[in-house]
Amino acid sequence: MIQKLVNILLVEDDEVDVMNVKRAFSKNNIKNELFVAGNGVEALDMLRTSIVPVPRIIILDINMPKMNGIEFLKHLRDDETLKNISVFVMTTSNEDSDKINAYNLNVAGYILKPLSFEKFITSVATLKNFWSLCEM
Amino acid sequence: MEESVKSCQEELSALKKEYEDFVYIVSHDIKTPMRAISNITTWIEDDLGSDVNPDILNNFALLKNRVGRLEKMLNALLELSRINRTEMELYEVNFPKLVEECIASLDYEQNVKFQVEYHLDNESCTTVGKKLNKVIFNILDNAVRFHDKEIKNIYVDVSENESEYEIKISDDGPGIAEELKDKIFAIFYTVNSKDVFDSTGAGLTISSKIVEYVGGKIQYTPGRDKGSIFQINWPKIISLKN
Repeated sequence: MIQKLVNILLVEDDEVDVMNVKRAFSKNNIKNELFVAGNGVEALDMLRTSIVPVPRIIILDINMPKMNGIEFLKHLRDDETLKNISVFVMTTSNEDSDKINAYNLNVAGYILKPLSFEKFITSVATLKNFWSLCEM
Repeated sequence: MEESVKSCQEELSALKKEYEDFVYIVSHDIKTPMRAISNITTWIEDDLGSDVNPDILNNFALLKNRVGRLEKMLNALLELSRINRTEMELYEVNFPKLVEECIASLDYEQNVKFQVEYHLDNESCTTVGKKLNKVIFNILDNAVRFHDKEIKNIYVDVSENESEYEIKISDDGPGIAEELKDKIFAIFYTVNSKDVFDSTGAGLTISSKIVEYVGGKIQYTPGRDKGSIFQINWPKIISLKN
């Protein structure tokens, strides 16, 4: 049986963070296709028009212009066709309110962006372990 | 009269909101570029490969160390600004257990000797346990980290009177020079250069703010033969100041 690789949608407005994820993918030898949206509005559009094909997983920042991560999650969970997608929050926000809001919207994980790139590589490897299970 | 009270309350709410926004901006918006500096440094280092002048590598290490320091300072500022908002739960605390936990969380080696004594009628009390833990941990941590002798003795003595607990933490380390003792509770102040001891200089500031917030007192006195004594007067009944 051929494994179907999960497609990853990264919703992130910071260019360095996008490059960080790309580098961490390459360091971890991750072959999944990576799509990038700069905010929640763009992300919803990419999901609804199937620019990001199924199966898909979302890595989501919280603080973004136009539509932030929490607003995006509300829209996602209200949408019958999108509500089952696994979402991992990856943010610098250590605010309890952001964590509670995110978990109330059924996120699969809440990851604080570490300062060092080495630790970030490890975080991405952990994520990869999770979505590999979805690919079985 | 009523209107002026209302206007004061509105002004207070606006100021509180402004303060909260400021804290949030510090926590998120400054951290993002700071992380970017750290990350890009690692990328450049990585891209340069293995054949690099050691001076350059040393400068990279310095750069990363200083960004790390900046992150710690920023986290300390955030912690300081949120003392009255986080971990405020009152629950039953057993003093020996709490001190034991603090000691267990410390990073220390075999040459550190702890002597703990309790003079209590009741070893349990209801208090803001996490805050008390933080204060005791910070002072013990300083006692261990800044100790200058081969064998490091640290003493903890917990007693009580009618209204408060008196927690005395002393050591036989270098002590603090008389002319510096008023500065040690200031944010980011370190007795030694931050290059000598990798310290943020926020532990005592955070501890004293916590103690002040619960209505207690913390003071430093020099030990009889050098060394330091920190005395915490922690009220039995917590009155939280807003």
